[in-house]
Amino acid sequence: MDDEPLDEPLDESLRAAAREYHSPPETPRDAMWRAIQARRPAPYRWLPWAAAAAALLALGIGIGRMPSHREGGTVSPAPVAAAPGPRVNATAYRLATVEHLGQSEAFLTRFRLQVRAGTEERRSSATARQLLATNRLLLDSPAARDRKTRLLLEDLELVLAEIAQLSPEAAPGDRELIREGLERGGMLPRLRTGVPAGTTPTRGDL
Amino acid sequence: MDDRELIGRVLAGDTRAERELYDAHVDRVFRLVYRMAGDLHRAQDYTQEAFVRAFRRLADFRGESALSTWLCSIAISVTLNGLRSVKRAREREVGLEDVPALGTRPVEADPDLKQRLARAIDGLPEGYRMVFVMHDVEGYTHGQIAAALGVQPGTSKAQLFRARARLRAALADFARE
Repeated sequence: MDDEPLDEPLDESLRAAAREYHSPPETPRDAMWRAIQARRPAPYRWLPWAAAAAALLALGIGIGRMPSHREGGTVSPAPVAAAPGPRVNATAYRLATVEHLGQSEAFLTRFRLQVRAGTEERRSSATARQLLATNRLLLDSPAARDRKTRLLLEDLELVLAEIAQLSPEAAPGDRELIREGLERGGMLPRLRTGVPAGTTPTRGDL
Repeated sequence: MDDRELIGRVLAGDTRAERELYDAHVDRVFRLVYRMAGDLHRAQDYTQEAFVRAFRRLADFRGESALSTWLCSIAISVTLNGLRSVKRAREREVGLEDVPALGTRPVEADPDLKQRLARAIDGLPEGYRMVFVMHDVEGYTHGQIAAALGVQPGTSKAQLFRARARLRAALADFARE
């Protein structure tokens, strides 16, 4: 039988005591529902949200985006700048995602180097918060319909959230733990494979 | 209304259906998460995160298991990840050498069986604790546990066996009293 146990159950006094282990209070249904709704754009809001995400990425607002000087001082146009029109299509989402993954990879590469070198970047948590905002927009957009992309964005969200929560007074050990997590999860190689070569002119310039 | 119909309405953008799905499952999810977290704020956070992820992934739900099991597996994943972060933070604060391990805590006079048992359950390895809480506290079957944790039913049974053995050992002196 599927539910046949391997051994005898605990005696009744222990079972009764176990049932009171972390005895749950009444479920705070409405409070949790409000919090869930606040984090989820309604379906009919997807189009403007996606447009906002694309616009945010195109402008590089607040993420320290600088012109690239690596290639003869030329500045490549942001790939998403021309994409979203009145009708945001799958290509725009894909381009916005690629742009975001490229910027995240650049940021995390820099973060990892700083942790290794023991230097402190005071803007790290602010940059992580801004990337996190974009990440969440993309997770709630049709870009996340692709399973591989969604899993990558979800894992990226956890890493960015950890960095975003770092206080300026955070111990070096805290940064080291995040770096170790990055290495263990293979986040940077996964980001690199998610970003086609030559599509992220801002890479390394955060 | 069955789960498939409800899911279809949610995916079609029916916000009332979202709330129906939430209402149908939130108690069970919250209870399990709270049992593991033992803290209202964390339990709320983990439950909310589980539902946010579930709504996001709903289009991927293939109906290979019950919706409740699928939701439960997401909640377990979120909860265990969250608790690991808390544990890491606590270890940093306290220092690894000061974190008590099961079996090293000195036996002390503690007349309250519930408290003794709660501490012993807290001290179980993560996998044992999850299976014990699901089976002996919340009443899940081994089949449901196996589906939610992505393991074989035999693994669930073995972990419950080991969890109970550890609890019996931890409370042996109490039983003799």
